[in-house]
Amino acid sequence: MSTDPLKKRKTKVIRGDGGTPETKRIRGDADQAKFPPALPLVGQRKLYSGRKQDVRVYNEEVELEGRDTEQDYILYKSTCEAVAKLMAEIQDLKASGAKEGSMEVEERRRRGSVHFIALKKLNRMAHMRLKKARDQTHEAKQRVDVLHLQLQNLLYEVLHLQKEIGKCLEFRSQHEEIELVSVDEFFQEAPAEISRPHLTKEDPHQLTLARLDWELEQRKRLAEQYKSSLCTKEKILKGIEMKKEYLNSLQPGLQAIMQASLPVQEYLSMPFERVQKQAEVARHLPPPLYVLLVQASAYGQACDTNLSVSISGDVDEAKALSRPPEDSQDDESDSDAEEEQQNTKRRRATVGVQLDDKRKEMLKRHPLSLCIELNCKDGSILHLFFYYLMNLNILTVKVKVSASADLSGAISAGELLNPESLLNCLYASDHGQETPNPANRYQFDKVGIVSFADYVAELGHPYVWVQSLGGLHFSSDSPQVEGPHSSLSASHMESTMKLLRGRLQARLALHKQFSSLEHSIVPVSNECQHLFPAKVVSRLAHWTMMSYEEFVELSFVQHVMKAGLVRNTDLFFMATVERGTARLQAAVVLNPRYPEITPLFSLSLLWKGERSGRTDDNLRAMESEVNVFRSELQGPRPGLQLLTNQMQRLCVCLDVYLETESQVCDGSEGPREFPREKMCLRTARGPNRLKPFKYNHPQGFFSHR
Amino acid sequence: MGPVELLHMSVFSQTFSPCGRFLAAGNNYGEIAVFSLSAALSPDATGMSQKPILTFAAHEGPVFSLISTDTHLLSAGNGEISAWSWAELTKRSTKALWTRRPNYKTSLEIPEINAMIVNSKDNSLIVGGGDNNIHIMDMETGTFKSVLQGHKDYIHCLSFREREGELLSGGEDGAVRIWGELIAHQCLQKSLLVSVTYLGECTRPQFGKWIGCLTTDSDWMLCGGGPALSLWHLRSMSPTSVFSLAGCQREAVFYQDLILTVGEGPYVSHCVPGGTVKAQIPSSSPSLNTLTLNLNSNEHRVMTTAGSSDQIDVFTNFSYRAFSLSF
Repeated sequence: MSTDPLKKRKTKVIRGDGGTPETKRIRGDADQAKFPPALPLVGQRKLYSGRKQDVRVYNEEVELEGRDTEQDYILYKSTCEAVAKLMAEIQDLKASGAKEGSMEVEERRRRGSVHFIALKKLNRMAHMRLKKARDQTHEAKQRVDVLHLQLQNLLYEVLHLQKEIGKCLEFRSQHEEIELVSVDEFFQEAPAEISRPHLTKEDPHQLTLARLDWELEQRKRLAEQYKSSLCTKEKILKGIEMKKEYLNSLQPGLQAIMQASLPVQEYLSMPFERVQKQAEVARHLPPPLYVLLVQASAYGQACDTNLSVSISGDVDEAKALSRPPEDSQDDESDSDAEEEQQNTKRRRATVGVQLDDKRKEMLKRHPLSLCIELNCKDGSILHLFFYYLMNLNILTVKVKVSASADLSGAISAGELLNPESLLNCLYASDHGQETPNPANRYQFDKVGIVSFADYVAELGHPYVWVQSLGGLHFSSDSPQVEGPHSSLSASHMESTMKLLRGRLQARLALHKQFSSLEHSIVPVSNECQHLFPAKVVSRLAHWTMMSYEEFVELSFVQHVMKAGLVRNTDLFFMATVERGTARLQAAVVLNPRYPEITPLFSLSLLWKGERSGRTDDNLRAMESEVNVFRSELQGPRPGLQLLTNQMQRLCVCLDVYLETESQVCDGSEGPREFPREKMCLRTARGPNRLKPFKYNHPQGFFSHR
Repeated sequence: MGPVELLHMSVFSQTFSPCGRFLAAGNNYGEIAVFSLSAALSPDATGMSQKPILTFAAHEGPVFSLISTDTHLLSAGNGEISAWSWAELTKRSTKALWTRRPNYKTSLEIPEINAMIVNSKDNSLIVGGGDNNIHIMDMETGTFKSVLQGHKDYIHCLSFREREGELLSGGEDGAVRIWGELIAHQCLQKSLLVSVTYLGECTRPQFGKWIGCLTTDSDWMLCGGGPALSLWHLRSMSPTSVFSLAGCQREAVFYQDLILTVGEGPYVSHCVPGGTVKAQIPSSSPSLNTLTLNLNSNEHRVMTTAGSSDQIDVFTNFSYRAFSLSF
C-alpha cells in the first residue's frame, strides 16, 4: 500500500511533465487550493494525536464527505504555487547573500513547512477518496456478476427445455410399425364400439388408438385360427403316418407274391419284371437316351417285334450323377470346378496334362448307355450302342454285327462290316466324323481339340440321325438347344430303323456276293436271269479292293472325280473281266448308301492298245449301260443284287463289244479272235456308231437303246 | 436328271434359232434344251445364264439331228420327226406341232434318223438314217413323197449342193452318193461311189470305211469318218488334199477360208484347204459330235461344239473356248 501512492505520485509528475492535464490531478489541485484555512488545524490534529486516532479518522472521513474535490484541487494548486514562491524567495535571498538561518530565510522555511503539511493532508484525502471509489466499483461489479450468473442459469434452462421438447417430438412409438388396415376399411369393418366414429372422426389420436384396438382384436382372432389349423395339420400328419405304416407293411407281402409269380411270367413270356427293372434304371438315363429308349421301345412294340432295347452301364454311377434333366450346363460347370480342385491339388502337373484331363472331362460319356438290337430274318443281329456325351450334349453310336453265317470268306469284304464305316452316310453326307452340335466347336477350342474325328474310334460316331433319334436338334442358325423332343425322335424312328436294317441286309448281301466275286463267279439269281443271255463268255478274273488313294491315281476315273461323284468314304474295287486277249478293267465306286446309290463303274479296255470311256464312245456307252439303267438291274426289292447284275451286264457288254468290233473292223487278218455269237440287228447305229448293248429278253437279240 | 446321268450324257445335235438368239441342243436321253445365247453372251451373264432356259423330253431315243426352218425347230428322234414352233418354245411351251414318221419296212428295230436337211427350193425335208434309204417329205402336206434307195448300210450324213440342186449322202457303207433331179418329182440316182480302194491315201482300215461327215460348197466337198478327212474337187471327182487328223471326224464345215472340223479327240481342228492342220483348239468334251456356226445373227456370231459330255462349248473368237453351256 505504501508503494502504490508513491508510484501514483511519480506518474503524476511524469504526466505533469508531459503537459497533459488529468482529472485527478486537477481534482487534487482543487483540494489543495481550497484547504489552506483549515490547514493548521489539520496539522495539529495529526501531529498530536495518538490514542484518539479512530475518532480522527472518522472525523477525517466525515470531513472528506463534506469537502468538494474541485476546491481541494484549487487549494492544491495554490499551495504548490505558494511553496514555489517561497522557494524562489529563499533562492533570491540566498543569492543575495543572506546567511544561513537568517530571519527572512527561517521565516519563509516555516511558512513552507505549513504548506507542506497542507499538501500532505490533501494527499491523504486523495488516497481516501481513491479507496472509497474503488470500493464502490467493486461493489457494483459484484452485483453485476450475480446478475450475469442468473442470466447464464436461465439460458441453460431454456436450452435444456428445448432439447427435451425435441426428444419428445422425435419419440417413435411402437404402434407406428404395426401395419394397420386403412382408415376407410377400418370404419367399414370395425364395430362401432371400437371405431367410436363420433370421437375418432375429429381426433386423429383417438382414431389411431381405435385402429390399434381393432388390430389387436383381429390379431387375437387370427392367432386363435392359426392354433386350430396347427391342430388339424397335426391330426392329418398322424393320419398319413398311419397309412404309410400300413403301406410299408404291405410291401413284403407283395414282394413275396411277385417272387412267386416269376415262374408264371416266364412261362407265359410276359416280361413284366424286366420291363419294370428297365423302367427303374431308365429314370437315371440322360434325357436324349431316355427319349431314344422310349421311342425305340414304342416303335419296337408297335411296328417291329425284332427290335429290342436294353440299358447297360453302371447304374450306381448314374445315380450319383442323377440330377434334374435340364442341368447339362450346370454339371459342366460343376465338373469344371471339380477339375479345378484337382488341379490345385497337384499344381505341379504340366499344362499338357491339365489339357489332357480337360479333354477327357469334356469327352466324358454318361455311365449308362442304350443297346438296340435289330434282328434280321436270316438271324444276324445289328447291335447299336448309343452313348451320351454329357458335356458336349451329343449322342454317339457304336455298332457291332453278329452274323448268322461265317463271314470270314471274302477278303475284299473286310470293309463292308467294319463297325467304323458300316453306318456311314445312312442319310446322304452324314459321315459321323464331326460333331453336329455347333456349340462344341467353341468347347473344343478351349481345350485344344482340333477335330472330333480323332476321337470317333473311341467314342463312337455322332451321326446326325443319332441326334434325331435322341430328339436332339441342332440347326445351324439357332445353336441354342432346348430339351430333347420326343416328336423329332418319333418322326425319324421308323425311317432310320428301316435304313439300318436295309444297310445291314445290303452289307450282308454284298458280303456274300463278294466272296463269290473273289472266286470269279458272278452270282445271278433266278429273278434276274432274264436280264442276260444264257451264254456269257467274258469272265470275271479278279475282284479286289482298292484304297481311295489307289483309286485316285487311276487315269480313267478322272472324269468321275471331276464330276464330284467320288468321296473318300466310299468303297473302291477293281474288277477285271477277261475274254481271250482282251482285258477290261472296271474301277467300281461303291457308295455306303448302296443299293440306294448305284455303284459307279469306270472302264478301261486293254485290247489292241488301251482305250477308256473317255476315248472310246462304245466303252462310254457300256459305262452308261451299267451305271445309268439302275431300274433294270436292281432286281427284286430291295435291289440287293444290283452290283452283281451290273457285273454280269458288264461281261455281256464286253462280249458284244468284242464280237461286233471284229465285225466292224477290217477282218482281213485271218480268223477272228471272237466269233460272233450274239444276235445283233445292226452292229452300229447313229453318228457315233454305238454297238447294240441292249439285250431283249425273250427274243434273245441285242439292239440299240 | 442325276449326276450319273449327266456324267453319261452326250450331245448329238444343235441348231440356232432363226433369230440367232437361241440355241437348241439334243442329247442321248431324247431331251432338247434351249439356251438363251443373248443371256449367256451378255456382259452381266451369271452361272445361271449358262443353264438352259427350257429342257423338255422330245423323243424316246437320242436326238441325232436338229435343224431350224424360218419358224420351226425340227428334231429327229427314234424314227420320227417332230416340229416345234420357235415362238412357242421361247414362251416355254413344249407341245409338238406335229410328228411324222417315214414309212419304214423293218419292224424289229425302229431305224434312227441321223441327218436332216431342208431343200428350200421345193420346201421339202430330206431325212436319212438307219434304214439305208433317204426319205423326202413335202413340208406343206406332210407326206413322204419319195424314197431314194441305194446305200448298203445306214446313212450318216446329208448335204445339199445348192447351185446344181444335187443331194450328197454319205453312209456307213463307205460310199458318198450324189443324187440329181432329172425329171421333176422323180429322182433318179446319179451316184458316185467312193469306194475304199478309190479313196486311196484316205483309207484307214483300223477305223473302217464309213463316211461320218459330208459337206459341200458346190465346187468342193469335204468328207471324212473312218477314212481321213479329205477335200474333193467335185467336177473332176478327185481328192485334192487329205488332212492328217488323228481321230475319226464327225462334223466339218467350211468357214470363209477355213475348214473347221470336230470328231474324236477333245479339240476343234482348223484346217486350210491346202491340206495342213492350222490349229487344234481344246474343248471340254473328250470327243465332239457336232459343230455349228451361228451365222443368222451378227451380234451373236459364235461357234458352238458339243460331244460326249453335258457341256456345250461356246467360241466367240474361234481361237479359244469362251465358256460352256451345260445341261
